[in-house]
Amino acid sequence: MTALRRRAAPGPTPRRRGGGPVAAEARWAWLFLAPTLIGLAILSAGPILATFGISLTAWDLLTPPEWVSLENYAALVQDERFLVALRNTTFYTVVSVPLGMTLALGLALALNRGIRGIAWVRTAYFLPVVTSATAVGLVWAWIYAPSGGILNLLIGVLGLPPQKWVSDPFWAMPAIVMMSVWQGLGTSVIIFLAGLQAIPQEYYDAAAVDGAGRWARLRSVTLPLLTPSIFFTGILSLIGAFQVFDQVYVLARPGKPTEATVTLVYFIYENGFKNFKMGYAAAASWVLFLIVAVLTFVYFRSQRRWVHYQ
Amino acid sequence: MSAPPLAATPGLARAYRPRRRRALRLARHGLLYAVLVAGALVMMIPFLWMVVTSLKTRAEVFGTSPLVFPTGLHFENYTNMWNAFPNDVTFGTFFANSLKLALLCTAGQLVTSSMAAYAFAVIPFRGRGPLFGILLATLIIPFQVVLVPNFILYRTLPHPFSESGNWIGTMEPLWVGAWLGGAFGTFLLRQFFLAIPQELADAARVDGANPWQIFTRIYMPLARPALATLAIFTFMWTWNDLLSPLIYLQDLDQYTTTVGLAFFQGQHVGKWPEMMAGALLSLLPMIVLFVVAQKYFVRGIALSGLKG
Repeated sequence: MTALRRRAAPGPTPRRRGGGPVAAEARWAWLFLAPTLIGLAILSAGPILATFGISLTAWDLLTPPEWVSLENYAALVQDERFLVALRNTTFYTVVSVPLGMTLALGLALALNRGIRGIAWVRTAYFLPVVTSATAVGLVWAWIYAPSGGILNLLIGVLGLPPQKWVSDPFWAMPAIVMMSVWQGLGTSVIIFLAGLQAIPQEYYDAAAVDGAGRWARLRSVTLPLLTPSIFFTGILSLIGAFQVFDQVYVLARPGKPTEATVTLVYFIYENGFKNFKMGYAAAASWVLFLIVAVLTFVYFRSQRRWVHYQ
Repeated sequence: MSAPPLAATPGLARAYRPRRRRALRLARHGLLYAVLVAGALVMMIPFLWMVVTSLKTRAEVFGTSPLVFPTGLHFENYTNMWNAFPNDVTFGTFFANSLKLALLCTAGQLVTSSMAAYAFAVIPFRGRGPLFGILLATLIIPFQVVLVPNFILYRTLPHPFSESGNWIGTMEPLWVGAWLGGAFGTFLLRQFFLAIPQELADAARVDGANPWQIFTRIYMPLARPALATLAIFTFMWTWNDLLSPLIYLQDLDQYTTTVGLAFFQGQHVGKWPEMMAGALLSLLPMIVLFVVAQKYFVRGIALSGLKG
């Protein structure tokens, strides 16, 4: 006990030269990190392994978990609803990410000028970002409503027939994509604007001296120097897209009007917290994790080929 | 197109070209401006539509064209929505719950993320790099991946006041985790702390200050803008969260505004005016916060985007 005390005491010890005050500070570091380390261990990093463990069991929370090896995964591959969820989530990602990023890029280029009064315009584009998908989901549900909804009225003016939108298997996912793009636009615009403002004016001056026109400057100065921002927005949007849930829950609870809107996270929610099939939900979660991890890895590897850091 | 021949006669070109260019630029700016404003209006349509619908009667909503002016301002939609819940629960209950959770989470994130950020930015210790890497990696992992083990963990923790005896059906799972650090906040604040000159800490150290004093008296006051950004983001995420409260809360009197709205939607199909009134009420705090603190929102998103 005394020996332990002595070692922990920061006072003068023979080995002071090696660590001394630095070692004492390092002990402080662990104190500062204690909450974070507990959080990592029991709430975020640790549970990823736990998810895999649970995914190898059948567990309804009432009876003890039963080891089933990879059966849950075998069942997932056969589960029509899971495959639909996978397809819907992929569709959502493949459409919403490029669409949102292209719109945001154009918008950021347009907003990045000293036009008077532009701050107010900018606010309008940012506002949806801070609102909850639940509340704005309700208004979008109303916009898409088959009777009385404003979208059907609008397309009626153009002479198009009314649609059932979120209750229509074909239009349900596009409708959800549209709302999400509307809501997420501001985030990407802000990141692009920050990236644009970080490009030094000298590059444009040099390009102008070389006789580069507006288009050439965009292609050979702006876009290459914006690739770090594009890269970052891409990863944010990609990860976000695979987590889509709120919009689906509020706009078109799958199974109510149509099966066409079940997504991966909805599938996890449904199996884990409505049907209490913990093992099955964990297996689906692990699939979600693998997809995101692999995509992120590939995306980061691709960075070398197209992202230019200044 | 006609510029080259004009340039051959210097006097004429000088007189003609600047004015032409200015007119062109004005036209281009005007067009751009029109497009931007039109786009902004499109962005605002759902909000305007929300306000307009919330003040109409249900008959007006279904019976007339949206461009026809309502017969009056039907604020009773708001009171109907407010009181549409059984057992003494009002929409105000949901508001109080959301506010309580958002404040608890914000406080927890401010305290614990800043502590971790200080350790990562200022104190050299073995394993700092890899540990920070692990923390950053969790930023990429969707939190839905760990929902199942988290739920099971909270189900095993004893709770003195809950019916089930564990944390399910209580509000605790929704805020206690916020007191155990966070990757986003730690990353954000670490960036900020790194920019503070080390000499300040060194001077305090010479005066006999310990790391805790340096942290609370030098770093925290200087980091106020970054702390404001983190506070606003945490508040927003907690206020807007749907999935976690949906999973953990069971009694109506514990519901947050998001779960309350979804519940109302399920119970009262087609009551659009009341629904819009509720949605608008639930958005108001965020809209006000955004208008007041737009600077911090923008900075937070931009800052986290600078060094991905």
